[in-house]
Amino acid sequence: MDFKIRAAKQEDCKEISRMIIELAVFEKMQDQVKISTQELERDGFCSNPRFECQVAEVSEEHKSSQGYTVVGYTLYFYTYSTWMGPTVFMEDLYVMPEYRGKGIGKGLMSKVAQVGKEKQCTRLQLTVLDWNTRSLDFYIMKGARDMTASEGWHALRFDGEALDKLAAEAPKD
Amino acid sequence: MFKLRKAEPRDVPDILRLIKELAKYEEMEDRVLLTEKDLLEDGFGEHPFYQCILAEWQEEQSNEEPRVIGFAMYYFTYDPWTGKLLYLEDFFVVEEFRGKGIGSEILKLLSHLAMKTRCGSMHFIVAEDNRSSIEFYKRRGAEDLSKEEGWRLFRFDKDSILKMAAPAEE
Repeated sequence: MDFKIRAAKQEDCKEISRMIIELAVFEKMQDQVKISTQELERDGFCSNPRFECQVAEVSEEHKSSQGYTVVGYTLYFYTYSTWMGPTVFMEDLYVMPEYRGKGIGKGLMSKVAQVGKEKQCTRLQLTVLDWNTRSLDFYIMKGARDMTASEGWHALRFDGEALDKLAAEAPKD
Repeated sequence: MFKLRKAEPRDVPDILRLIKELAKYEEMEDRVLLTEKDLLEDGFGEHPFYQCILAEWQEEQSNEEPRVIGFAMYYFTYDPWTGKLLYLEDFFVVEEFRGKGIGSEILKLLSHLAMKTRCGSMHFIVAEDNRSSIEFYKRRGAEDLSKEEGWRLFRFDKDSILKMAAPAEE
């Protein structure tokens, strides 16, 4: 099946929003999705975009059972390593279940690697859930290393009340 | 006494010095490949990749120049579920100046910045054997996402990126 990988346009945000929720459902965390299509449009397509996005598109004749032709996406942004410099962080990578096994995931990830290479990035990083063995195997097969297992790195977060409390105690300007 | 301020281009030598001290503390000092030139271009050029806060120390009633003894490097990332995030990349206070509340004040300032810029949360990574840092963060309400939700950090290095970026064989 032929597919095309291309940079997302503002009009794609509705489909991207749909797939963000599908991915969250797969990760069993759908109640954590709080942003809307409008916010995605604002944050990704303004003068200072917070992220970039590539989508995978199939022709009309291969559209999904519900009529979708945009069948996969990757959302990524640029970060910084104080040891090595610019890095690309692949936040989301998703292909609709009926389109897997056709090289679309690989195509999307290769595109992120290509874009990262053009921007002189020395690393591509991502996080994966420990029970998601199919994805873990996919990334390891392409050369990724599990930094949590090998070096003990843990991801931490301050949000909600904890963040509010810290912010309230900040020194006044 | 100490003061927190935004880093300027002239601070790049001090920033690199502290990056190397933090890497040494993490027992990975040979991994720092960045130079002052890289830091200057990447932080103070046309498209900054990072922002930096510095902690300066000056002895009371001294005429000496203030010394840079702590820093935090951060940037903004994105969570497709909640929106903008503040990501704390490096955070370090020189050993002899710990226990004076400097780290605490830096963290509060960063949280305030996060709220001001409409970030829903602040993220960072810590090595699991760095018990004192993990305690510092957990005491202030941080959650360990790796432990509680099972997130693992994965990395592709430069060779793997080049391989993936190459056009597929026909």
